[in-house]
Amino acid sequence: MTNVIDNVSHEPVAGRAPLILGAPDFHAITEAVAQPAERATPLAWWLFFLPSLGMLGILGLAVAWLVWEGIGIWGLNQPVGWAFDITNFVFWIGIGHAGTLISAVLFLFRQKWRTSINRAAEAMTIFAVMCALLFPGIHIGRPWVAYWMAPLPNQMGTWPGFRSPLLWDFFAVSTYGTVSALFWYVGLIPDLATLRDRATTRMRRYTYGLFALGWRGSARNWQHYETAYLILAGLATPLVLSVHSIVSMDFAVAQLPGWHTTIFPPYFVAGAIYSGFAMVVTLMVITRKALGLEHILTRFHFDRMARIMLVTGSIVGYAYAMEFFIAWFSQNPYEQFTFVNRAFGPYWWAYWTMITCNVLSPQVFWCKRARTSLAIHFVVSIFVNIGMWFERFVIIVTSLHRDFLPSSWGMFYPTTWDILLLIGSFGLFFTMFCLFVRFLPVVAAAEVKSVLPAADPHHATGQRATPAMAGRLAPEGAH
Amino acid sequence: MSHDRAVAVDPAQHRGKAFGRLTGVGGALAVAGVGASVALAGGTPQFYFSWLVAYLFFLSIALGGLFFVLVLAVSRAGWGVSLRRVVENVMATLPVFAVLFVPIWLGRHELYAWARPEEVAKSALLRGKAPFLNEDFWFVRAILYFVAWSALATFFSTQSQKQDETGDERISARMRGIAPVGIILFALSTTFCSIDWMMSLEPEWYSTMYGVYFFSGAVIAIFSFVILLVQFAYTQGALRGVVTTEHLHDVGKLLFGFTIFWAYIAFSQYFLIWYGNIPEETVYYMKRQVGSWQSVGMLLAYGHFLLPFFFLMPRAAKRSSALLVIAAVWQLFMHFLDLHWAIMPVLHPESARPGFVDLAAFSAVGGVFLAAIGWVSSRRALVPLGDPRLPEALSFENV
Repeated sequence: MTNVIDNVSHEPVAGRAPLILGAPDFHAITEAVAQPAERATPLAWWLFFLPSLGMLGILGLAVAWLVWEGIGIWGLNQPVGWAFDITNFVFWIGIGHAGTLISAVLFLFRQKWRTSINRAAEAMTIFAVMCALLFPGIHIGRPWVAYWMAPLPNQMGTWPGFRSPLLWDFFAVSTYGTVSALFWYVGLIPDLATLRDRATTRMRRYTYGLFALGWRGSARNWQHYETAYLILAGLATPLVLSVHSIVSMDFAVAQLPGWHTTIFPPYFVAGAIYSGFAMVVTLMVITRKALGLEHILTRFHFDRMARIMLVTGSIVGYAYAMEFFIAWFSQNPYEQFTFVNRAFGPYWWAYWTMITCNVLSPQVFWCKRARTSLAIHFVVSIFVNIGMWFERFVIIVTSLHRDFLPSSWGMFYPTTWDILLLIGSFGLFFTMFCLFVRFLPVVAAAEVKSVLPAADPHHATGQRATPAMAGRLAPEGAH
Repeated sequence: MSHDRAVAVDPAQHRGKAFGRLTGVGGALAVAGVGASVALAGGTPQFYFSWLVAYLFFLSIALGGLFFVLVLAVSRAGWGVSLRRVVENVMATLPVFAVLFVPIWLGRHELYAWARPEEVAKSALLRGKAPFLNEDFWFVRAILYFVAWSALATFFSTQSQKQDETGDERISARMRGIAPVGIILFALSTTFCSIDWMMSLEPEWYSTMYGVYFFSGAVIAIFSFVILLVQFAYTQGALRGVVTTEHLHDVGKLLFGFTIFWAYIAFSQYFLIWYGNIPEETVYYMKRQVGSWQSVGMLLAYGHFLLPFFFLMPRAAKRSSALLVIAAVWQLFMHFLDLHWAIMPVLHPESARPGFVDLAAFSAVGGVFLAAIGWVSSRRALVPLGDPRLPEALSFENV
């Protein structure tokens, strides 16, 4: 696609830069979004899909061996009874948050640029939640009774520990997964109908038609759609805060120095959004290129994502600093030791990896050229992904490995199975994402059309808004 | 929606003179307040504590104003331009708070245990904290906050005013360029001023959330206060047609959102301390469960969150001037109570003892604050006339 106008080198002060380049009409958007799901499978797709599938196979192997042999195959010990499993869980849950922020919070804040990325980000959310849910299920030692985590009626003689944050996790994450899936699916319906109507084979028409739920694009359809979408956005917004707050309480309700600190809930939420945006950037840098969506997912969008990463990265940096300061300020020797040990103890390298990746690397985004360079975006997003994984590792392992009694101190070393399981979870994530890119519209076409100049009823030239488009005019900020 | 429909703003209609009356009223309140509080309790701990509560209450409104202005600049917000000047005028009072700080400096020994050598001698903890909690460094930090706040407030205020005449787009760009740095300064100074002036009242106690807690209250305060100022401008015949129901609706949404945010922060802090049940932390809440402090705490939970949550939820409430004013007055009162509840148990551990000194100090600080707003406002237009995004703000609609 041709980049006729550049929407980043000059941003007007009055008025707004165009979000979509090349002034496409509605039909051109439909073509650009639908074609990747309709054309024959390109070779490049297999180049991504097969390695992902291979990694998913590793996951299967690692889980099967875990179930057969037990969690002794991991490097857990006394005192570190919780390491990669919970690190991975928190990491993946965090990744999901960008999707919800983009789809719900930015919707309420009338950030129209979200329309180009919300679909893919929400899909990513769902896949990340799937990866996350895996870990509580398998880390309990007897995965075949994982359903005991749910608050089942007690005819089995078990009663869930309502005072345990692990149970709250179950509520929080399952609610989050459900609402995210609903939100994503509701948003998909109009685009599924488009794919149905464009289908050239009976099979495609039936399959897309099945999930399009009889969508006809009438004004009535749109009106209901808008209402549902707004309500779901309203419901999903508190979930952005609540889920990772509850996850943070897995640690913060304990009395362990390094875990027990009051700033954890908002600090975890900011970190989650931060890591999620990094993952969105990693994925979208590749996806936009592969699917030829450069005019829809422009450098302007990356500029905005860079700003959000700079903000959330700074909040995370604030929390690191505040924890350190208050540890000193408390004059509690255990608190002080934990933080000194984090930075200068045996896991110093993990701590400084975290600081370098999370606090220092996004600072390049102060510079506009970095915010609009996809190469820099890609590199920084990988750094942040690494840093955010290490953040959870640092919090979890360094706080546990040297607790109150020096006689019980120890070290955690991951085994091969720990590492394979982590790799395998990426396999699950990338496999799902590859399938999504192959079979579903990666961009919310109907929403993107609403931010085109032609969607404005005052727009002078040519294209008149259809009834469907009239419906699409309302959403941003209708509440 | 940004259709640049031409909407004419008549500068003559939106002169800051509308706020001129505040100078007189504020001045009178200030004189009466200072006189009454000195006569009633001059030099006693009660005087200093009451002053501190009132001071932080109005300071938090002004700091909230600074935050609002910074966020509007950094996010290139279009909708908020038409009410930005009102917020700027609140922010512009920040330098005055350096003067209002004098009684707190005078009363530092009455207010802060760590500033009393005999207490420090008794406590190993306080001796350990002395590198941070000592009079000199505490004073230097205060100076740094005032320098940062005054510099930011003056910069944004004067630049915006300059744009009234020139309409220069580069001023918007410049403000946007400085705003991110301003936000960092704001975050650090707000956090540490709340630690210095409030948290250190109980110097053994600590919470990493404290700065965020203070911030969340400040944001509620500014949104509430803006609603009241706009209504006041309406009564003076200004801002009508410029700040419309649409803008107030948005401010209402923000007030609603940050009411939830306050509850989230307050609950998280309480909950984690309650659950951890470590004596050196629970002491803070134990103190606030004594006598009538317990009821004040419950009133905050219901009154600062639950009631306004349901009150502000309907769309109609956010689009009705009368209902918004009720919510704003109520939330400001609750914010005051929140600060009172955070500070006063140190002086009156046995029970809440609100009194005339509190009222007098409130009138003194509030009078100066209002007079400053009146004085700043009356020297310029009430609308940023030269802002290139003003047309966008004027035609803004919540659909």
